[in-house]
Amino acid sequence: MKAKVGVYVCECGPNIAGKTDLDEIITYLSEFRGFGDVELVVRKYGFLCSNQGKEYLEKEIRDLGLTHLVVGACSPRDHDSTFKDVCGKTQLNPYLYKIINIREHCTWVIDDMDKATEKAKSYLRAGIARVLYQSELFESPIDVNPDVLVIGGGVAGMEAALALAGENRSVTIVEKNDTLGGRAGKLRGFSFQEFNKPEQVEKLIETILGNPCINVFLDSEVTSVIGFLGNFEIEHVSLESKVITELFCGSIITATGADLYETTEESGFKYSESDDVYNSMEITEMLSSGDEITLRSGKEPETIAIVHCVGREELGYCSGVCCTVMMKTANMIKARYPDIRITQFYRDICLPPSGGQELYAAARSSGVNFVKVQSTGLSGTTVKFKEKNGDEGEQFFDMVLLASALVPSKDTPALSELLGIPVDETGFFQEAHRMTNPSATTTDGVFIVGTSQGPRNISDSMLFARASAGQILTKLLVGEKLVPEVAVTEILEAYCTGCGNCLDVCVYGAIYPDEARGISIVNEAICRGCGNCYGSCPSGALRTKHFTNIQLFREVDEALR
Amino acid sequence: MPKNGSVLIIGAGIVGMKAGLMLAGASKKVHLVEKLPIIGGKVIKNEESFPNMECSTCMVAPVQQEVLQNPNIETYTYSDVESLSGSKGCYEVVIRRKARYISLVNCIGCGMCYDPCPVSIPNMWEENLMDMKAVYVPTAGSLPNVPVIDSSKCLHLNGTQECNLCVESCVFDAIDLNDSDEVVTVEVEAVLIASGSGLFDLSALPNLGYGDLSAVYSPLEFERLFASNGPTQGELTLRGSDISPERIAIIHCAGRSEVGYCSTVCCMYSFKFVRFLLHKLPEARIYDLYLDICVPGKSYQNFFTTLGEGSTTMLFTPSLEDVCVTESDSALRISYPDTSGESRELDVDMVILTAAIVPDSDLPELARIAGVELDKFGFIKRTDEGSGSTETTKAGIFAAGTVTGPGDIQRSVIQGESAAGQIMELMSTIDGEKV
Ligand SMILES: Cc1cc2nc3c(=O)[nH]c(=O)nc-3n(C[C@H](O)[C@H](O)[C@H](O)COP(=O)(O)OP(=O)(O)OC[C@H]3O[C@@H](n4cnc5c(N)ncnc54)[C@H](O)[C@@H]3O)c2cc1C
Ligand SMILES: Cc1cc2nc3c(=O)[nH]c(=O)nc-3n(C[C@H](O)[C@H](O)[C@H](O)COP(=O)(O)OP(=O)(O)OC[C@H]3O[C@@H](n4cnc5c(N)ncnc54)[C@H](O)[C@@H]3O)c2cc1C
Ligand code: SF4
Ligand code: SF4
Ligand code: SF4
Ligand code: SF4
Ligand code: SF4
Repeated sequence: MKAKVGVYVCECGPNIAGKTDLDEIITYLSEFRGFGDVELVVRKYGFLCSNQGKEYLEKEIRDLGLTHLVVGACSPRDHDSTFKDVCGKTQLNPYLYKIINIREHCTWVIDDMDKATEKAKSYLRAGIARVLYQSELFESPIDVNPDVLVIGGGVAGMEAALALAGENRSVTIVEKNDTLGGRAGKLRGFSFQEFNKPEQVEKLIETILGNPCINVFLDSEVTSVIGFLGNFEIEHVSLESKVITELFCGSIITATGADLYETTEESGFKYSESDDVYNSMEITEMLSSGDEITLRSGKEPETIAIVHCVGREELGYCSGVCCTVMMKTANMIKARYPDIRITQFYRDICLPPSGGQELYAAARSSGVNFVKVQSTGLSGTTVKFKEKNGDEGEQFFDMVLLASALVPSKDTPALSELLGIPVDETGFFQEAHRMTNPSATTTDGVFIVGTSQGPRNISDSMLFARASAGQILTKLLVGEKLVPEVAVTEILEAYCTGCGNCLDVCVYGAIYPDEARGISIVNEAICRGCGNCYGSCPSGALRTKHFTNIQLFREVDEALR
Repeated sequence: MPKNGSVLIIGAGIVGMKAGLMLAGASKKVHLVEKLPIIGGKVIKNEESFPNMECSTCMVAPVQQEVLQNPNIETYTYSDVESLSGSKGCYEVVIRRKARYISLVNCIGCGMCYDPCPVSIPNMWEENLMDMKAVYVPTAGSLPNVPVIDSSKCLHLNGTQECNLCVESCVFDAIDLNDSDEVVTVEVEAVLIASGSGLFDLSALPNLGYGDLSAVYSPLEFERLFASNGPTQGELTLRGSDISPERIAIIHCAGRSEVGYCSTVCCMYSFKFVRFLLHKLPEARIYDLYLDICVPGKSYQNFFTTLGEGSTTMLFTPSLEDVCVTESDSALRISYPDTSGESRELDVDMVILTAAIVPDSDLPELARIAGVELDKFGFIKRTDEGSGSTETTKAGIFAAGTVTGPGDIQRSVIQGESAAGQIMELMSTIDGEKV
């Protein structure tokens, strides 16, 4: 069929019409013979984006039987989708249309009318040249599985499951421990946030176990993950019976928590098992179980040192919870043993708004001693420190409590590999976008919540969990299909040598090797058409639909003619 | 009331926009009400945002565009929620669309109407650092890019004189000086309040000189001063002059003990300001006068340490209440107690105060209209905050973002996403009850 390209130039009132010679452009293009026997229909219109304009355009496409469409108007940011939608109502495939910005790029930036006219001409020519090499592309909706897998059954994992079950989603929790609850489960009575009731975790566990939508596998680990958003195939294994269970789901929430930093001698912390040195988890477990606070000798301590920021320097981040934990710890000890003298060696008091400021004030007024230091170390239960003004000192205590940092859980690297989600410079899982998409990852359909994403308190961990549930509930709708990106990349098999260069380049993990055939394959359901891989192929086997070489070269050639 | 799949969102900052797009994507009808003529919230006041130091406009403008173009989102700019009645699952909302005098359909944002207008007024969005006309868009790059007319200042509208200059200058017939408020009633199943927060009133700390001394700046004033689309096109010059400061002090925790909490973001934006200053005034000497450095979470501290040795002089003071800013001969003099409590002095050309994040001054009224309770600090209270819930004391009304307390963009967005999830859950259970 002979191509018949419609070129419609919008006047945009005086914005375009007043600053270019539109009639000159129309005559020029109508008479232009650079495109062989392609038929060009060149017209102008007042406001193409108005309702009348859209109707006019729709009628023209139909009545004239246009095979391609070029609109010379404003920025694609303003109206690309407007005209795409117009095409959608006609026989014309929207991928056979192109908007050319002759307002922001020509008339709004060039005062000289002749120059603006010339530039508009070359842009429009380039657009026509490109559109002739564009191809029809079609959406192919895929079925999705609304069920969800949650890995890790701490507060974050449980809250995510509950939020999803509230909308009747089937959720499976795979927890490697023999109980649900994670770290918060062990803290029991201890909680620094006034709104976190001691029985909160137990209640949550009960609710989860009683919920018909939630299936819990304890003592289990996920061993295999394949697939993509909407269609994952999972295998998990029982650590005891070694029985492997298969599972299908549409999305995965990673809620595997964080570990506690362990001190090293190199960082100046020298003590042995027999010394009365405890980390924050040990002391909070002691406090929450109601046990006596005693030294290993059985005596009651008279002096206790609390050392802040253990690991902060080495790790390069502040965990944000340990100051508050230690305020609460000091207050609880003071309440039970008013005579114990407590000294806190701190670098900064970091109390994000979760009631920490009050706990701090209470600690100060109950006589806890605060010493601001630059650095600390330990030799047995003797605290070595450098004060703010540079003075060095050391002081013996009966007992030392360490505010140890939260670090990525030791399973993180393996999970990162298994799920195809990267970790960041701190070793925690990395967000799709740190600020605007923090619970998602670069792998569509895989989410990171709670302390597996970074150190935080219980309520924020649960908040993160609910955010991932929000994403899933609004993205993967029960009974609805998903429309993947259409303008994706494909691999031309005949050229692909299977070198695998492109595999490393794709941050979405859309390319996988087909070992049997010795080539690489793009999974079009995952590819976003970002084009990153395009330049990485030494044999030119990659082709990003809608951004092919020929399309781009023809466009540039015409623009520069 | 029939179930109509509609949601009301109050406030079109990053939270309201993100939640709105999520719900619209799930085929819900979203009524998004914003009191200002433009959407985008506070984030678009920043040239760049920590911790990524990404260009804020590049981050937010696509979201703004998407919101304005989404067929499932009805955006009411320059509008207020006048009343909200009903209960979970069926709220009736009365929205007042204030007269804009400019047609959102016809206006293309060419800006031809500004010059002719004879009235100049201070531009509040630009922190009063520049003037604008009575017919204005708050800032360059406004979305929607359609002006409004300030009816109390316009000569025609306030009855001072028969001015018609803007109307004559608009070739699109977009201006209608007879426009009037429009009152719209909509029915929704759930409500999300995402109306953001305010800044501590720095004039309540007379020892720090804000308001009296022109070289003392609020953080938002500094953001706009630095912004390349701001009042000085990003030229860092002192108020009312074309001189750049050579010595700048950032005083932390302004208002912290008055409000009773640490706002967590102000240390971070202080270090962002240090980066800004190093970038534009590499010769300047910078001081940070602080009590604590609060940089929680995995990426904050690194943002601080990567500033590098010597980029700013960190001055610890044990007592911020005793810090005083006064005018010296040619500059500002800061007196403060140092580590050992001894009094010291520091002369600088510019002072930036990191003001605490506080509830917006409109919030009590909005809370009254919505019938939700506030917490002891005046932010919106959530009944089950301990489990990360965003539901307020009134069932079916949710709150997310800095309207619930200080937070950075990440935490605000997370809250918005959580709220979207809770709203989906609520709407599905209402479905269930009907079936
Ligand atoms: C000493 C201390 C005191 C604290 N006190 C408080 C407090 O008072 N208030 C407060 O708000 N916060 C407090 N916190 C922080 C709080 O503990 C965390 O915010 C919260 O527990 C995080 O929950 P989570 O679900 O993200 O992780 P976790 O509770 O760590 O749960 C992770 C779960 O995942 C499981 N898991 C790990 N790897 C795998 C795998 N490969 N496969 C399957 N399952 C896996 C684990 O077994 C665990 O059950 C404290 C932290 C510490 C260290
Ligand atoms: C000086 C400064 C610098 C900052 N820099 C950073 C940074 O670099 N990185 C970072 O992560 N965070 C930063 N923050 C924090 C960040 O600004 C907030 O996290 C974010 O703006 C919160 O978004 P929000 O949607 O909750 O509120 P907002 O952005 O404030 O949006 C609220 C919207 O609601 C509207 N509104 C208010 N009341 C009503 C009403 N009654 N009816 C209708 N609409 C209403 C407002 O006009 C506004 O558009 C900074 C904060 C400050 C103060
Ligand atoms: S929260 Fe406190 S103790 Fe923990 S790393 Fe931060 S400043 Fe140090
Ligand atoms: S275009 Fe982008 S998303 Fe698609 S395969 Fe290439 S790198 Fe991956
Ligand atoms: S009102 Fe008219 S003159 Fe003013 S910006 Fe809009 S279109 Fe231009
Ligand atoms: S009518 Fe009002 S807004 Fe228009 S130019 Fe005159 S004073 Fe300005
Ligand atoms: S974040 Fe920093 S400046 Fe802000 S109140 Fe907390 S300690 Fe002070």
